Amino acid sequence: MLKRIVMGAEVLALLAIAVFVVMLFANEPEGAGGGGSGGGPGTEVFSANCARCHGADGGGGIGPRLAGGAVVDAYPDAADEVAVVTDGKSGGMPSFDGRLSEQEIDQVVEYTRTL
Amino acid sequence: MTAPATTAPRPMSVRLLGLLLAGAAVSVALGVYGKVHDPTGEQPYTLFFTGTINLKVWFATVAILLAALQLLLAARLYGKISIPKKSPPWLGDAHRLTGTLAFLVSLPVAYHCLWALGFQSTDTRVVLHSLFGCFFYGVFTVKVLSVRLHGLPDWLLPAVGGVTFAALVGLWTTSSLWFITSRPAGIPLL
Repeated sequence: MLKRIVMGAEVLALLAIAVFVVMLFANEPEGAGGGGSGGGPGTEVFSANCARCHGADGGGGIGPRLAGGAVVDAYPDAADEVAVVTDGKSGGMPSFDGRLSEQEIDQVVEYTRTL
Repeated sequence: MTAPATTAPRPMSVRLLGLLLAGAAVSVALGVYGKVHDPTGEQPYTLFFTGTINLKVWFATVAILLAALQLLLAARLYGKISIPKKSPPWLGDAHRLTGTLAFLVSLPVAYHCLWALGFQSTDTRVVLHSLFGCFFYGVFTVKVLSVRLHGLPDWLLPAVGGVTFAALVGLWTTSSLWFITSRPAGIPLL
């Protein structure tokens, strides 16, 4: 009985590997690789640097939710958000000083406040 | 002149090299995909968790618990521990099953890491996690092939099994443990 279960699990694992590989290459999200539609210059900066933690739509992930006014509630003054993006923050937010220009940081902050 | 009728078995060193190359190929392929692929940043599945990240944290935790159980079963199989006193006949099957289940549970985690986040280098923890991830599946490949291939040194399987478990511990420590203990304020645990 256990032998059959083991065999079944191993067959399932082989199928799962096949699905895993296919999905890595076939499952491209809508708009991937582009700069999004209707967004300003901050959109691309966001997609390239922030989306992986804060979610493609700013809905949150490893990093907190930004969309729906969450980031504006947390930082009513945009300069404070600029400081967090520039210097980083304990709890996992990395510093983007030197990785993004001041202009890019301003653009991405402006963008996050429209999500 | 006729060719010899029998083919000499491949020397052990060739088999070992083949195993190593297979594992390295898997690790490098995952690393290259993670680096080249445009991370989507999406959260494609959550089940009953608040987000994909939360799901990954707990799936990875289940994987490491199953792997720890597999390690204990292996220790009993090799006679390194003597609980239970009489080794039950299903021990080997249970060992295989726990390993297979740990691998299955790890796949949705790895998929999201590669597809949505990619190979990152934002800080030391993240670099280590990316490296452990690629290394883990490479050494897991070596382990699975070591079980299937014959004529390998006796020490190889337990050694590779130990390294696989150590890689999983590194992977879990730099992700799930970090999330459980140091996640940013406002991010739920489940």
